[in-house]
Order: sequence, then C-alpha cells, then structure tokens
Amino acid sequence: MKFAIAVFSPAHAPSSRRALRFAEAALAGGHEIVRLFFYQDGVHSASGNVVAPQDETDIAAQWRAFITEQQLDAVVCIAAALRRGVLNDEEAQRWNRPAANLPAPWELSGLGQLHEAAQLADRLVTFGGQ
Amino acid sequence: MAKSLLIISRQAPWSGPGPREALDIALAGGAFDLPLGMLFLDDGVFQLMPAQAPGQVQQKDLTANLQALPMFGVDELFVAASSLRARGLGSAPLSLEAQVLEDDALAALVDRFDQVITL
Amino acid sequence: MATLHVLSHSPFSDQRLASCLRVLGARDGVLLTGDAVYALLNDDLAHLAGRLYALEEDVKARALTTTAQVVDYPGFVQLSIDYDKVNTWL
Repeated sequence: MKFAIAVFSPAHAPSSRRALRFAEAALAGGHEIVRLFFYQDGVHSASGNVVAPQDETDIAAQWRAFITEQQLDAVVCIAAALRRGVLNDEEAQRWNRPAANLPAPWELSGLGQLHEAAQLADRLVTFGGQ
Repeated sequence: MAKSLLIISRQAPWSGPGPREALDIALAGGAFDLPLGMLFLDDGVFQLMPAQAPGQVQQKDLTANLQALPMFGVDELFVAASSLRARGLGSAPLSLEAQVLEDDALAALVDRFDQVITL
Repeated sequence: MATLHVLSHSPFSDQRLASCLRVLGARDGVLLTGDAVYALLNDDLAHLAGRLYALEEDVKARALTTTAQVVDYPGFVQLSIDYDKVNTWL
C-alpha cells in the first residue's frame, strides 16, 4: 500500500512521535511512503534548531535521520513555515531574516504537494493535535 | 478518477491560523480541480456568522475567502445542524450557502468521500 | 466505506470524542491513541465493542486495563489498510 503521511504538530508533541513510529512501521511492513507533508505546527517538527533536553527523546533529529536513511520525500508547507519562522537559506535571505533553521533533507513547497501525495497514495493518514 | 477529499473545519475563526489553513487546503485543491467538500462542525460553524468585525482584533476577515470557494470549484459546503443549535445559531442566517446537515447525515457525508482531513 | 477515526485528546478535557461519536458510521472504527486512551476508564464506549481499538504503548504507559482491542504500530498500520480511510481528529 502507498501512504501519504501529513504531520500537523511540533517535535515535542506526542503525535509527531506517533507519526514517526507509524511511518517506520509502514516501511517495515513493506509499504511505501509517497510523501511526508508537514503543515501547521508540523513545520516545527522540521526545525533544525530544536535542542531537546538531554534526558528526552530528540524527535526532530529522529525525523531527519529517518527521512535521510529511507530517502523519503519530506515537504514542509512554505506558507505555514514562514508564518511560524521556519525558513531555509533561500527564504531567510529573501525575507532578510537573521537565521535559517530548515536543514536538509527538508524541502519547502506548497499545498499542491499535499494534494498530489493524497492522489497518489492509497491511504492519507494525518497526525496532529496532542 | 481523482480521489475526493472532505475537509472538516472545527475551529472558531480567530482561534489561530487553523481556520485559514483549513481553507487554504480547500482552495489549493480547488485550484487543481480536485473533488472537494468542506464541513463546518463544532466551533467551525462560528466561521459562518455574518457581519463579524475581525478588524477589531486585527485579524483577517475570512468571509470573502470562504465565499470564493465555489469560484475555486468547491461548492460542496456543509454545516452541522447540531453544532449550530448548541451555539444558539439554529435559525441564524449564515454568511455562506451551505447545506445544513443533521447528525445522521454526517456519517453518510464522511462515507461519501475517499479521504478526509479534520482540523 | 468504513472509516477509522483516530483520537488523541483526553475526553475529560476535550470535545473531540463527543463530536466523533456524533459523526460515527455504523461500520466505522475508533482508535484511541495518546491521552484519548483515558476514555477506557468509563463505559461510554462499551457500545463500540468489536470496533474499538487502543494503541498499546499508550494503554501501558498509563497503567490502564481494557477489553478493547489493543494494537501496536504494525497493528495500527494494518487497521489503516483494513478500513477504507483514516480520519484523525487533529
């Protein structure tokens, strides 16, 4: 089965961690992840600036590692990201902001990518809130 | 054939960026000619109260954007009757032309769509 | 079409479960995750027997016991396939 997974919550939310564990289980089960799409506060799950407390799980780092190792398409909605101060180098320059905090492997793009993923996938699963 | 998507918008208009971001999903999908529907449920029905004055709280008025939905090809718009009644809006006029549905019709509505996002 | 509804908020402090039950179809399922597993503490969902699921890690983390079907992540993935679509109450 093909999955499109959309994440609406930041790295410190239990739902972001659940999304990651679900995504891992989907791949382990032999399924395909068409795209990971990060929207609303989910853009914070992609922040390269998160410093998780030493005694807590670093979910932002785990997302990066997972996406990189599995070579997944991980898109962050640009409008949601800008509003929340999550910028890559290009946007930080464009808007003259002091820092870029969206590292590779994340890509900024529009909601069209969410719709495309939903069309390509057999199942669209969203995670967010708590 | 394109998969259809139902967006369930549950938040009050100025509770945060949620309502606008829900609407943006609908408008983006409409721009790609995708079959979409939008249901206003729970506090989401507050988005449809006419004559609101968001300028008072320095917020953007979404009414114009909501009314643009049919122009983007999103004309399947629904409101939950029980949500309206619970908020004293049972017989109030709405700023949008939307089908008012009772609870038993809501399950059938969700059933009709291939995918759903509730935010 | 049968929908799997996924919840993650405590029903004692949030309205999502109540709204979900209004919209729930006769063949739909409910998966409790995160704080939504606290819903297992009373009998409000007893009528959903056979189509009520709970995420194992959340049930165990909170030291709850339940007769609902407890699933792990592979089980969660399988449920999302067995049902025609997934509706998470974000």
